[in-house]
Amino acid sequence: MSIHVPAADWFKAPTGGERTWIGLALAWCVVLSVAMPYWHLRGKQNSTGEAYAVEPMKFSERVEAFVASNKVGEENGVPVVQPAPGGDAYLLAQMWRWYPILKLKQGQSYRVHLSSLDLQHGFSLQPMNMNFQVLPGYDHVLTLTPTSSGSFTIICNEFCGIGHHLMTGRVIVEP
Amino acid sequence: MSTTLPLSGAAEATGFATGNHRPGELRSCDTTGLPVCLNAQWFIRINAVMAVVFLLVGGIASILLALTRAPTIHLLSAEWYYRVLTLHGLNMLIFWILFLEVAILYFTATSLLNSRLASKGVAWASFGQMLVGALMVNAMILTGNSDVLMTSYVPLKGHPLFYLGIILVATGTLTGVGNFFATLYVAKRDRTYNGSVPLVVFGATAAAIIAVVTLLHGAIVMIPTFLWSMGILETIDAAWYRLIWWGLGHQSQQVNVCAMVSVWYLLATITTGAKPINQAVCRAAFVLYVLFINIASAHHLLVDPGVGAGWKIWNTSYAMYLAVLASMIHGFTVPASVEVAMRKKGHTNGLFGWLFAAPWSNPGFSAFFMSLVIFGFLGGITGVTLGTQQINIIAHNTLRIPGHFHTTVVGGTTLAFMGLTYYVVPLLFQKEFYARALCRIQPYVFAGGVTLMAVAMTFAGSYGVPRRHWDVEFAGAQVSAGFDASAHLWLGLMGVGGTIAFVGLLMFILLVVSAVFFGKSNAGRAMTAW
Amino acid sequence: MSDEKKVADIIRDEHNAEEHHTPGTMTLVLALLASFAVYYFANWKALADTWHVR
Repeated sequence: MSIHVPAADWFKAPTGGERTWIGLALAWCVVLSVAMPYWHLRGKQNSTGEAYAVEPMKFSERVEAFVASNKVGEENGVPVVQPAPGGDAYLLAQMWRWYPILKLKQGQSYRVHLSSLDLQHGFSLQPMNMNFQVLPGYDHVLTLTPTSSGSFTIICNEFCGIGHHLMTGRVIVEP
Repeated sequence: MSTTLPLSGAAEATGFATGNHRPGELRSCDTTGLPVCLNAQWFIRINAVMAVVFLLVGGIASILLALTRAPTIHLLSAEWYYRVLTLHGLNMLIFWILFLEVAILYFTATSLLNSRLASKGVAWASFGQMLVGALMVNAMILTGNSDVLMTSYVPLKGHPLFYLGIILVATGTLTGVGNFFATLYVAKRDRTYNGSVPLVVFGATAAAIIAVVTLLHGAIVMIPTFLWSMGILETIDAAWYRLIWWGLGHQSQQVNVCAMVSVWYLLATITTGAKPINQAVCRAAFVLYVLFINIASAHHLLVDPGVGAGWKIWNTSYAMYLAVLASMIHGFTVPASVEVAMRKKGHTNGLFGWLFAAPWSNPGFSAFFMSLVIFGFLGGITGVTLGTQQINIIAHNTLRIPGHFHTTVVGGTTLAFMGLTYYVVPLLFQKEFYARALCRIQPYVFAGGVTLMAVAMTFAGSYGVPRRHWDVEFAGAQVSAGFDASAHLWLGLMGVGGTIAFVGLLMFILLVVSAVFFGKSNAGRAMTAW
Repeated sequence: MSDEKKVADIIRDEHNAEEHHTPGTMTLVLALLASFAVYYFANWKALADTWHVR
């Protein structure tokens, strides 16, 4: 029994159903092990964690420079900014908004730089439900290619204080 | 119904030699014949009682949270929601579980090895630190000084006593774990048993080893953070904090997995007379846990900046899923042992005759088996999937995450511990339960509620509904946002499930408290069988 | 002595053989593996439908 000292010869190889199951489970674990590296090489969605050290104030300056040189409009007082295709886009997370609004083109790749001015935030793009962590002191770079067009929302899904639920943003993708 | 458990108390069957108990510090269990060290019994009792106290605190928090996230009710204010969420996480994940696990460790090392507890003094030191620490943490939370959630992610800053309290709970638990190891040593030295330790003790030891790694991570992350909260250290790097904190946070869940699996083997034996088919296989699976389970805390950092794809993939896979293999092995060996035992008793009808004939009216059995099914089918499958580097992109920080861990820690570990309590109270408190019919249905109420709630969370999360979030209608936000009706339906069902689970939890607490403090003693006779 | 030993061996072997007769559990774990595979691959499919990111 499980609560008693085992018989002296307890060290023996599995047989029968146990052995079959261990074999099946091991085979499944091999499948699981292969899946991630496979997708890393052939799949189109990966989280490689590309990041660079940056002071929050410095990042904020880069964001303002990006807004200044690429602004194409405004919505409710928030600048709408259009990065060059294949170029850098900047998104600042702060208590409690995402800044600015990005205007992208479907099928184009962009290097989106995410960082925070203050606390940790959660970049959550809806309704695709793509989620990435945003940390102060880290410029988190996502090489992003929108595959659909329309108006998309960014919410924050990392608790950042009492105004956490007010923290939203927008991404517009033109076809 | 027989009044003795399906155990033989003969010394030869248990493998016991002469015990090392001091005079007057030993009694023999009237039900199982197992030796009970009276010192261990005392500490099992007080640790178990505190565990249930903190379960109640966390439980009151849980109904408040369920009624807040149900959008039509939205009970708490934003401020109180995050405060109560902090309370819920710490009391449930840390305090309830760690206090009960210390009790389990003391039981396995003494009664199952025929040994006395190594040290009363050390046991008091452990209990004292844990209790003071937990009270400090709760006081800081309830006074509004630490609305930082259980994870207290830097740069969110709590009160210094919040961090100090967590440090004390960690050091106190480490002290208790040390007492467990000392007892194993003393038992071996005094030759109180012949041969290898029982499987349940082996599993408990695996849990204790993982606990040491866990609690060391806790010290490494919490001590500098405490100094930072006092203004002594200027900054703490946010990414470094996440990496080390999850070394505490996830590893502690792996301790729970080991403890839960050990409890499964224990309850399988006690309720059905089940015997592990192959001890080498079960023990090897526990060894795989010890070797590989810790590195998987990387799955909390899968969409983080600063850690690369290679690191993420290797670690989140538990080094090629060897620890997942261990869980899948236990997922076979535990029910298989029950099936063999039941078939031997003559229940050989078809594929599942053995299962239908199992003692489902015994709350120790029903809680254990439902815990196995929920943990395996729901917890394990969602866990491995969400912990896949790329799939995590569509899951991180959504309600899918709490949907997953409520099936592992609540439907799995907590439910199994509840099943265990239906034996701890009559055997170690020597008190009988009242309202036995309610005892029999309690596991079903709790399991049903938790399952509904967790499934609802998972579906809501797959629509993108965030976790740890007070208002998914984003009222007042600069850019409007929201979720469609189906997501709201799932949130409503989450509220229903959470309410049912809370009823099941309250039932458990009332049944246990009434038995422990007001129940009839069964000293001198075998417990009333379930 | 050797006859008794042989009989004991036979009983023990039969006993062991019985212990591995667990078709109910095998069914349960195969169901587990099947659900696992379905859920796992469904999630990869859901991921593949999102934007490209590296």
